Amino acid sequence: MSAIAAEAARDFTFIRPRKRRLTEYEAVTVHQQPEPGGFDPAGWYLLTPEGRPAWKSDSTRLDHSDWFAFRDPAALWQRTYVRLQAEQERSIERASEDAAESGLLAAMDPDWLNRVVAGPYRMWSFFEYALFRAFAPASREALSDTLGNALCFQGFDHMRHAQAIVLHLLVIETARTDFQDRNAKARWLTEPAWQPLRRLAEQLIATEDWAELAVAVNLAVAPILSRLVVGGLVGRGAALHGDPVSALIAMTAERDRRRNQACGVELVRMVMAEDLPSRAQNRSVLEEWIATWTRRAREAAESLAPVFAAAPAPIPAFDAFYAEALADRAKLLADLGLAGGGQAA
Amino acid sequence: MHDLVEAHDRVKDFDWAPSYVEKPNRYPTKYKIPNRTKDPFRHLIRDYCSMEQEKDDRQYGALSDVIARANMPARASQRWTEILKVVLPVTSFGEYAAMKSSGQLIDTVDNAELRQGYMAQMLDEVRHVNQEVYLARYLARHSRDPEGFDRGYKLRGSNMFTRAGRAALEGFFVGDPIEGALNLQVVTETAYTNPIFVAMTEVAAMNGDQATPTVFLSVQSDEARHMANGYSTLAAIVSNPDNLPHLETDFNRAFWRQHAFLDPFLGAVYDYFQEERGTSYFEKWQEWVAEDWAGAYIARLEPFGLKAPKHFEGAAERVKWSGHTAAMFAYAAWPLQFWRFDPMTERDFDWFESKYPGWYGLYGKFWEEYRRMCDPANGTIPLSLFESLPPVCRVCHMPCILPRPDLSAMRVREHGGRKHALCSDACEEFFLQEPHRYQAAPTFFEEYDGIGLADFIQANGLLRADGKTLMAQPWLNEDRMWTIDDIRALNIVIRDPLHDLPAEART
Repeated sequence: MSAIAAEAARDFTFIRPRKRRLTEYEAVTVHQQPEPGGFDPAGWYLLTPEGRPAWKSDSTRLDHSDWFAFRDPAALWQRTYVRLQAEQERSIERASEDAAESGLLAAMDPDWLNRVVAGPYRMWSFFEYALFRAFAPASREALSDTLGNALCFQGFDHMRHAQAIVLHLLVIETARTDFQDRNAKARWLTEPAWQPLRRLAEQLIATEDWAELAVAVNLAVAPILSRLVVGGLVGRGAALHGDPVSALIAMTAERDRRRNQACGVELVRMVMAEDLPSRAQNRSVLEEWIATWTRRAREAAESLAPVFAAAPAPIPAFDAFYAEALADRAKLLADLGLAGGGQAA
Repeated sequence: MHDLVEAHDRVKDFDWAPSYVEKPNRYPTKYKIPNRTKDPFRHLIRDYCSMEQEKDDRQYGALSDVIARANMPARASQRWTEILKVVLPVTSFGEYAAMKSSGQLIDTVDNAELRQGYMAQMLDEVRHVNQEVYLARYLARHSRDPEGFDRGYKLRGSNMFTRAGRAALEGFFVGDPIEGALNLQVVTETAYTNPIFVAMTEVAAMNGDQATPTVFLSVQSDEARHMANGYSTLAAIVSNPDNLPHLETDFNRAFWRQHAFLDPFLGAVYDYFQEERGTSYFEKWQEWVAEDWAGAYIARLEPFGLKAPKHFEGAAERVKWSGHTAAMFAYAAWPLQFWRFDPMTERDFDWFESKYPGWYGLYGKFWEEYRRMCDPANGTIPLSLFESLPPVCRVCHMPCILPRPDLSAMRVREHGGRKHALCSDACEEFFLQEPHRYQAAPTFFEEYDGIGLADFIQANGLLRADGKTLMAQPWLNEDRMWTIDDIRALNIVIRDPLHDLPAEART
């Protein structure tokens, strides 16, 4: 038998698949980042002038012997990710065109437009932008390719949402003579109502531990705050106020949020695996993070109660929706065996 | 429909200076970057995703449909296909490093316009990694000899050339983020992606390989945006005169670090793995790097104080021969590699002599001898033609025989109680500026010093699925392939040549 054309070498043999067969996602993702403890024994070929290497093993307080074992539950690689977002954006763009053509945008309740879409939802676009900013260095620093790519996609998700909100308002402007999306930045920077949210945004941008960011956003901030604002106020309110485009944008953002939450859950499960020696240490770090970021997320969320109150009826009641978000989040943490979420409202 | 200019103006208005919590200085930079430069592509995610999806559909569709059904990869030139086993693991690390570079630029450069461009680039780079790895897997499935394609990403950690690739390409993101942008966008993407992704596709297509051009041209379609990112970044930097001294130093180093690996590597790939022959790497270099990049692109920035890199002329001299020398060294050390080599023929000799007058006198003897050493029955490998092996440069990790053994500027220096081989004035200059940056990784010879060649091959997984035939072969003859027993019989031990070289006093 010729040593050429061995069937054994007809697929990648250097990746250990999670399941029985190597997936396309695993094939194009795993072991692209060098790993001194793995295939790259020489370590780092260049240091920064300050002496840091390409990646730092202490870039997170969580401990794991093999970050490359992480798998994105959605198994996204660039092609499938871009396809997903192109489809979501195409549906928004078409809905937006149709809403403009059919007169829906012109007929939209001005109170809804001014007090929700151009108000808290527009302010939320800055928060999403902050998340994009926060995830860029987290993606840079993550200790494996599977983690870094998932965090990169999440950063892009947040920027997509921020842009979709702004573009929606721009289309509304062209459809109506009585509305302009003005002074949004100044309101974000100065109006007292948004300052707790802005403080939280800046805390997230300043978070240096990439795993802390992923846990903070996906298991504390988004399940409470995004769920409340995007899923609740905008998502449910828009449907009641003749604004199908905002409802659609919010639904796509919620879809992204659930996907990222599943990634966060996967990360937690990975560092709390039964056979991991650092399991207890990881649990303690995770619970500390959850407690800190839950407190911050709740402060920001509760500061938005007056925004709900000021929104035109019919609107989901803040208390009921907040309680629902907290209860769902408590169940999520309970399923993971984690404390630190605080009491439900 | 949204007005793109207006939409873009609003999107860039997301940035604000934090007032509650100070952002950590994650990636220290020496540069002052004014907030007044443009992202010429006005990226909106909506349009970006739609455009990239269409390109993906075309590229992956072509690979899975016509090219695979017509069994094209298996019919492409074997000589050419073999070198893709090492090219793809090198280029995709460059893409991965570029993704990280973009991430730290987003964090560092307080300029909303540029952030938009870096954001799209970050996702483009994930795209390129995925595309190039997909191609390697595709070739494992469809090419005649899959061995090497199936595990090149593992083997690159222990290969002397891919390690040098790492050393150069880590420059994209290990250091001042602006230094990274100079390495990535200004030097590699602007000067070298045309030779890599355009010129190489010409060779691939001439040699029956349609899969690589399908992928590489799709990659290159994103590069214009990255070059624009580089130009915008550079334009912002040169607009502040305080930046110029740093810029000169970093730009000199960025150019040399990329040249020191890319030119010998690409030259060897381009000139020695073409079977159906066209232009030479040197001709392409003149066109893309000398004329378009140094002659037009950099010259345009000269009024702002940017000069051609200090070592550009020296590099231009080296390019003529460095690919030949790197190829000779790679062929001579074939058992250490993970691809097969095809000996040069009389027809190749004629082409080389016409493209590089004087080539035969310098390299002809080696290739004549090489052909006699391909058959394992003769019991020798071409490393035996060399009295001694060159050490590896501490900075660029390339063998210290470039550009040509008789023109080598290698010197050995002692620093911090260790000996360091340095291949050139430039590598020595950069080493002396910041010696601590280059000493974390051992060179290939330092790492494997004292290990038997056969043991190296076994330990590093360089055997085929049958467990005895070498993955690398000095020729494409499938009936007389080298086995681990043939290598063991040679009784060769890897030795670090630096041991036998005295450290000279610095002059």
